[in-house]
Formats: sequence, C-alpha cells, structure tokens
Amino acid sequence: MSSRGTRFVERLDALWLAATVAVGFLGVRLLHMQVVRNAYYAEVAERQRTQIIAQAAPRGRVYDRNGDIVATNQPAFSLIFLPGKSQDPARLAGLSESLARELHRDRDELLDKLREAVREESAIHLAENLPLKTMFKLSELKTLYPGVDLIVEARRFYPNGAFAGHLLGYMGKIDRRAWRLLRNKGYRVDSWVGKAGVESRYEDILRGVDGEIRMEVDAQGRLRRRLGEVPWQVGGNIHLTIDSRIQKAVEEGLRASPSGQGAVVVMDPRSGEVLALASAPDFDPNLLLLPDWDEGRKGAATLPEFNRALQGTYAPGSVFKVIMDGALLQEGTVGIADRVFCPGYHTVGNRTFKCWEKKGHKSVDFMDALAYSCDVYFYTMGLRLKGPVIERYEHLFGLGRKTGIDFPGERSGNIFGPEARKTRKRGWYEGDTANLSIGQGELLTTPIQMAVVAAAVANKGTLWKPRYVKRLERRAAKPEEHASAVAGRVELRDDVWQRIREAMVHVVKRGTGQRVNVPGLVVGGKTGTSQNPLGEDHAWFIAYAGRPDEEPSLALAVLIQHGGHGSSAAGPVARKAIEAAFDLASAKPAGVPAEGSLIDEVPPERDIERAAPLPVKPPAPPPAAPPAPPAPKRVVTPRPSHSAPSHAEDGDIYSEGD
Amino acid sequence: MKVEGGSFRGRVDWALIGAWAGLVLIGTVAILSAASPLPHYGQILQRHFLALGVGSLLFLLALGFNYQVFQDQSKVLYAAALTVLVAVLVLGQVQRGTKGWIRLPFFSFQPAELARILTTLVLAAYLDRRAQRSGTVGFVAGGVALVLPVLALIMLQPDFSTTLTFFPMLIGMLYCAGAPLAPLGATALYGGVTLGLPLLWTLIMLHPAWSTSSGFLDGFLRLRDMGGPFVAALVFIFAAAWLAWRLTLQFRVLVPPTSFAVGALILSAGLASAALVDHQLKDYQRNRFVAFLLPAADPRGASYNVAQAQIAIGSGGLWGKGVFSGTQSKLGFLPERHTDFIFAVIGEEMGFLGTMAVLALYMLLLWRMVDTARQARDRYGYLVCCGMASIFGFHLLVNVGMCLGFVPVAGIPLPLLSYGGSNLAMTLLALGIVGNIYSRRYAFY
Repeated sequence: MSSRGTRFVERLDALWLAATVAVGFLGVRLLHMQVVRNAYYAEVAERQRTQIIAQAAPRGRVYDRNGDIVATNQPAFSLIFLPGKSQDPARLAGLSESLARELHRDRDELLDKLREAVREESAIHLAENLPLKTMFKLSELKTLYPGVDLIVEARRFYPNGAFAGHLLGYMGKIDRRAWRLLRNKGYRVDSWVGKAGVESRYEDILRGVDGEIRMEVDAQGRLRRRLGEVPWQVGGNIHLTIDSRIQKAVEEGLRASPSGQGAVVVMDPRSGEVLALASAPDFDPNLLLLPDWDEGRKGAATLPEFNRALQGTYAPGSVFKVIMDGALLQEGTVGIADRVFCPGYHTVGNRTFKCWEKKGHKSVDFMDALAYSCDVYFYTMGLRLKGPVIERYEHLFGLGRKTGIDFPGERSGNIFGPEARKTRKRGWYEGDTANLSIGQGELLTTPIQMAVVAAAVANKGTLWKPRYVKRLERRAAKPEEHASAVAGRVELRDDVWQRIREAMVHVVKRGTGQRVNVPGLVVGGKTGTSQNPLGEDHAWFIAYAGRPDEEPSLALAVLIQHGGHGSSAAGPVARKAIEAAFDLASAKPAGVPAEGSLIDEVPPERDIERAAPLPVKPPAPPPAAPPAPPAPKRVVTPRPSHSAPSHAEDGDIYSEGD
Repeated sequence: MKVEGGSFRGRVDWALIGAWAGLVLIGTVAILSAASPLPHYGQILQRHFLALGVGSLLFLLALGFNYQVFQDQSKVLYAAALTVLVAVLVLGQVQRGTKGWIRLPFFSFQPAELARILTTLVLAAYLDRRAQRSGTVGFVAGGVALVLPVLALIMLQPDFSTTLTFFPMLIGMLYCAGAPLAPLGATALYGGVTLGLPLLWTLIMLHPAWSTSSGFLDGFLRLRDMGGPFVAALVFIFAAAWLAWRLTLQFRVLVPPTSFAVGALILSAGLASAALVDHQLKDYQRNRFVAFLLPAADPRGASYNVAQAQIAIGSGGLWGKGVFSGTQSKLGFLPERHTDFIFAVIGEEMGFLGTMAVLALYMLLLWRMVDTARQARDRYGYLVCCGMASIFGFHLLVNVGMCLGFVPVAGIPLPLLSYGGSNLAMTLLALGIVGNIYSRRYAFY
C-alpha cells in the first residue's frame, strides 16, 4: 500500500478504535437504560400518558323511618381540565377567559387554578353540577382547548328541598386544612365533604369510594381513549328515626308561626327515638350544591345554621310547672285538694310577684293551677318547697346537662338554684325561689331537654338519650341497628306520675292548651310563655299524646322564639305534629302482621315502625276545640267553668315587683 | 482479512449496500410510525420516498464512473460548492430562522449538504497534492484556509449545526493525512476556546449569585462585551506568554520562542471568536446549552426533549413496544421524532434489539469505509474515505449521544435514518463514492 503514496493508516486505525470504544460505550448505556432500568422508564412513560380522572362516588342514601328517601344522589356533569405535557401556557389565558364568561367566574382565579393544575400535573375540576345549558356551551370549548372535558359524577340531592336541613346538614368543598388530614383516606383537594348534621357526623359511612377513569392523554392533554376504570363504590345508607310527615308538618308550623323562629323536637316516649327535629329559620341544602362552590361558600357564611332545638337555651317559663308538680306531689308538700287563693299577686318580703292574670284566679287547687297556669299557686308552693329542693328536681329531670343526643353542638342550658348560685359565689333569696317556681330567672333549657322531660312524663320516668339513627348500613358490613339508651330515671311514685298526667290532660281539655285537644286521643300538655330581656316573650308548648287505653306514643316540645303566648304561637305547631303523627298511623295499611296482636303493647325496642299509634278515626276538625274564638268573655272563677277561657294564656310575670 | 475472500473480492461492496439498505429500511419504518400522527404525513412519506429514489440513483451514478474525475476537477467542485452556497443566500427560503433551503418544484434542497461532500472531495485533492509537505504547519493552515470560505457562507445562513459537522471532517482528514500534531492541537485549542467559553459563560449566567459575589467571575463574564476587560485579557495573555518565555530562558529549558507567540495568538483569537459566537448564539441554542448543563433546571423547557427521548428509549425495553405502538411518539411527547430524535423512536418501538441493530449496521458501514480507505488504490481515495467516515462517525456519536443525554442537543440528524431528503440523498451519494473507491481498489484493474 505504501507504494501508492504515504498514508497514515495507523492514524485511521486509531480513529476507528476510538469510534468503536465510543459506540461500545453507547451500547452499554443503551443496555443499562433499556434492559436494566426499563421498569423505571416504562413507569414514567406510562404515568405521563395516562391521566386518572376521579369520579365522585354517590354518597349513601338517607331514609326516614318509613323508608322514604330524604337524601340521595343525582347524576351531574363536571367540567374537568387535564394539563398536557406540552401545553402552550399562552392558551391557558384564553381558556380562562372563555370559562370565566360561561361560568360567571373570576378570570384570574380560574387562570391560577389552571396554572396550578399544569404545575401539579394533575386533573382538576373546574366546575361541578353544571346546568344543561352551560354544559352544551362548554362542550364547544372542548374542541377549542385540548384538556377540557366533561364527565358525569354523582352529586348530592335532597328531594324534599328545604327539609330537615339542620338535621341532615349540607355538603361543601373540603377545606385545605381538613384535606391535609384526610388525604390518605381518599379525599382529593376538590372533594365534597359533609359539613354539618348527619352528613358530617356520619361522613365515614355515607362517603363512597370514588371511581377512577384511566384515560390516555397526548402531550397536549387531549383525551385519546379510555384505558380502563375503577368503578366507584356507593357509600353506606342511613335510616333515620325521623318521620318525614311529622317533620314536614312541624316545619310548616314553624314557618307559619308569628316570628318564624323556633324549634320543635318530637320523640317517641317509648324508645327515645326522635321523630322530628326542626329549627327555624332553616335552609335548603341543595342550594349549597350549585355549580359554583364559591357562591355556595358565600351562602354557607350566611346560612341560618344555628340549631335552636339543640343550641338555643331559653327560660322554660310555665312549662317548668310540670316539674314543679312532680316535686310538690313527690315531696308531699301539697295535697290534690289543697287550695290557694290567687288575688293576682303574691308578696314575698317587700317585693310583689304578679300572677299573669291580673284579676287573680281566686281559689285554685292542684289541677286548676296547672290548667290555668296560676303563678300565685306556684309562688306559694315553691316557697314552701324551698329552693334547694326545686334545684334537686331540675337535676332529676335532666336539666342543666346535655341530653346526650349524638349530634355536634348541643348545649346544656343552665341550672338555677341555691347550689348553682353558690358556685358563682352569690346568695340565694326568697324572691329567687318565687321566680324559679314559675320557670323564670336564670333557668335555661333547650327544646330537646324539654322534649325529653315531656317523654319522661309520658313514660313515667325514663329520661331517654334521644337518638335519630335507626340503622346504619355500612358498605360491605352487616347493618348496624341502633338501640335506645337511657340517660337516667326520674324516680317518682306511680301515683305522682298519674296525677301529673291527669293535670296535663286537664290543661288540654279545659285550660290553656285547648288548641291541642285532638279528639280521639289522649293529649296532655303544658303551655309556657317565658319572659326574656331581648324582646317579645318566647312561646313554649310541651305535650304527649297517645290513644286511649294505651301508653302515650308521642312526646314533643315546641318553642317559638319571641312568638308571644305559648298557647297561640306554639300550640298550633304541636297540634300539627300530633295530627301528622296519628294521620300517619291511619294512612298506614292496617294489615300489619297476621299474628294480629294489635292491641297488645308492642315491646318498645322492637317494631318501632309498627308501634306508631294505631288508627282510631280520621280526626275531623274537632268542634270542641275551636282554634281561636275571638274576644271571649273573661270568666275568672276559682273552678273552671265549661266555657274555659280559651284566651287564657300564661301570665306576664314581674319578677322584680312594680 | 476474512472479508477479502469470497464475494467481497468483486467490484461491488455488497456489505456496504446491505448496511445502508438495512439502515434505510429501519429508518423508513420508524418514519412511517413516527410521522403518522402528523398532519403532513402523506407529504412527508412522498418526500422521503422521492429522496430515497433520487439517492439510490445518485448512489448508482457515483458507482458508475471513476472517482478520480473528482480529483482532476477539484477546482470545479470547489467553485460549485461556493456557488450553491451563495445561491442559497440569494434564492433561499427562510425556515426556522435560517436561510438554508432552495425551493424546487417537488422538494426543497439544502445546499450545505452537497457542499459538505464537495468540500470533502476538494480537501482530499488538496491534501493529496500537498502530501509531501504534510509535516508542516502550512499543510494544516492550507487545509483550514480551504474550508473557511465554505464555513463562512454557511455561517451567513446562519446554520450553526451544519457548520459543526465540518470540523470533524476537517480534523479527521488532516489527522489521517499525517498533519503534525502541534498545529492540530492548536486548532483543537482554538475550537475548544471558541466553543468552550460560551458554554462557561452560559453556566455562569445561570447562577447570578456567582458573578455578583465574585469580582473575578464578573470580569470573566464581561469579556464578552469586547470592552475594557477584553483588552485587559489580551494584554494579560501576551504578558503571561512573554513571562513564560523569560522563565524558560532562565531555567535553560529549550522551547522555541515562536511557540509562545503562537500560543498567545491562538488564545487571543479563540477569545475573540468566542465572544463573536456568544453574540451570535440564538436563544434556543443557548437554551440547549442550559439544558445540557443543568438538565433538572427546567424540565418543561429545553431539556424536555432530551428527557422525553430518554423516557422513550428506556421504556422500549428489550423487545420494544412494537412498531406503531410507541406511546411517547404516538402521543406527541417526543418532539422532532421523525427527524433528530428518530433513534429514540427506534428505541421505543423496536427496543434494545432495534438500537443494537442500528449500532451494528452503522459499525458495519463505518468499517466498510475504513476498510475501503485502507484498500484504496491511491491516497486521494484514502483521504475521501477518511473524510466520509469522520462525518459518519461524528453524526452517529453526536446524535445517539444526544438522545442518551451525553451531548447537548445540536440539531445533528442521524444519516440514513432521520427524515430529511437532502441529507438522505447526499449521504447515498457519499456512500456511492466510497463504493466507487472500493470497486477500483486495485491499481491495475
């Protein structure tokens, strides 16, 4: 070769060797990447081509005691955004512009959200629960902007609208702090979560497991095809003890009441089950599920969330006289026939305590005292009984402590008596005893406490721990029946209970509670009109009801805040509740079980559904109890005549004399 | 040599043809797959097959007549190379900011590709003519001077990447022609300073804290402005050279005084051209530097391409995901997938076996070139083969190295595999010339 000119073949060979070594090096690197580290790269490639879209699972349903649905789900369209790998950031601005127009939202806020999605490389929900019209407009955006898509999700729906809102609660977007705690339980940043009431208390049961759709996306974030999906799992159902017919009736009653503010608790005195629990003003939880949660959040801020049934504390006023009756008879302070003369006022030391009836009730005995709510009788008897004893009976009937209903936010009220005063380092005076005797002063109770008291009278002493859940149906677990729990017992002699009940029936038949006199039923009740420094008096009514010859099957407490007189403001609501409860019984098919021991007392724990009062007669508007005869002549006799003062109300009382 | 027996003794180098045919086959399949989601799919295929046809014809044509014609007509070829490059500056179409394309009825043509082959032939003729003086500095300087006008015309387009491909050809041919190592080293030093300084400056600019905390680095950064610090650096270089010369005299070490002067001159020239290159760098080119220096700095920016290429290759595994089934290329994650990153598509869809096949065929092709160089009947043929092999080896190493993240993204295609009509046709022309040299390897044929 050298003959054909000087060459430097060894230099070429050196280059060739270098190239071989370099290519060998590349080959080793390829071996490492493609064979050794293949799993890693395959996973990265897989991750960036699949986008997982979470699909909110339906929450469990909530049923009432009759199996009627009070909370369920609806399919709803959500707008999602999938950030693409090589998405042009400039397009985000245009997208946010278009979205802001369609969704009526702030453009910059949307842009921030989109940018965050791109940064986090995860799909986000831009809008949820879209109305149909908006949806069609948005589906056009889909073609303009890659990464925008619509998916179907399950959205909470409350078929009855504004119904038991305080009890059911509502749904809201999870807040960031809660999300950090719950993220490993499958919650996403944009998950919905129960914010109050049953929705919040039983979040763990109601919440389903969200589904996942695995989609193939391209570098622009466009969905290409469905790769697979993990179906959602529906949450567990809850059966409440609530009877939606009673609930509806009392809510209507509350709305129609003079002030539109108040609370009702209806219980089954045989089991402690809450049949209705309402507080007014209330809200429609559906309104918080609007497409725009930010709007919902504003709504939530102004939500009438205060649950007067559990959180409102009010002086019981004359309703307390039922407890006073129990104390008087049990302690033997008074005989049934003992009479007290009511001149319209009572003097304690140098202070004068007025009866609500300025003209006085003249001579009243035990039965009349409760029927006409004679304050002077109770001043007199209370002073005989002494403060410490009354205070003991407050405790005995469960006042001053929470009823223990499994619901957040319950208040305990306030005990009024010498002991309570002592802990606050203040003295106790005779005048305080007089005030306490008619349920005034510093005594504060919640409507649910008074419902428990009414139930205790109806069942002769059992203080129930109220409950509103009958059965929990957890996912993949056996249904969990909730049993009744007793919070305490009021140990009074049987004849004492009998007397109290007679007196309460007397109130309804002859006295201040005539508006609640439902024919065909045995109804006992007590009105209350409690003075308060904030304005108009609070109207109270507590009652129990049952069919003749049977134990009472209904107990309730009605409070109308600033409603005025107990009889006219609270009475009609109580009547509605009783009518609805016994309507329900008549509306139910009579063909209950074949064994047919319909008359027998059903064990209180079992067959609660059947234990509802049996049909008696469709209660026609009772002629005996006209709703409100106008301008009755005032008859003030010691013994009630047949034309009892239908206008008779509890009195204005003046605790501090003239 | 084993292969010299049997069929390889004939006029036609079947191994060479087999190697490029195999590479073109793999490349065509990969282009068919990679370009399929693109809107101009049909047009791309049309152009590819047109270029393949033209290239095959050119290959046969180049085989057909004696390559020594090129040596005789080297002046004409040189003139032709300069003419097409001037023509493109006059008639060319601006694409992606460079004026490198001449539009013809059916396709666009990139004259720089042709100019590179012509320059190789011209340079080989020059080096062959001056072979007697191959040990001198003038030999190297002459070679460089020959290539500089061509480079200058390409820089005017401006096409930085293509210019880059001339250097391995130039250095490789000079080296194989027996050029002295000192001037080669000087050239390499000059090239290193020219390219290395912008790289360093970019790195310093990435860390603003460095230059604000250190006055020296700040001054270093200001060398680019050709102002006071630049002049100071020149003075410093010459002063240092003079000092070094005085020191060697002092210690009676015998070093020719010219070497200090030359060294200082090279450093100064390198500094000046580095500043020039730095000013000429486009943003995307600087971003490529950044992506190479700090891959994690901006995963969605410039280093995105390399990261996606690595994911594509790595996820291919041993057997690959199957042709037309690569998610990285099909879903658009891999950019430039039918051109510069075609190797990543092969890695993803054909797996380790595919990449190994490509490397093996390339090594076969390179080996055929090296072997042809050894057997060539004259030094001219030897030098042409050395030049072609240098170009090939450089393309292979830089492109594959880029896909694997060893080399900055330089916009260098993979010949015979990447989509690109001019490159494919011209590559086949070059291979035809190599085949021609092989078929005429015996002087007394």
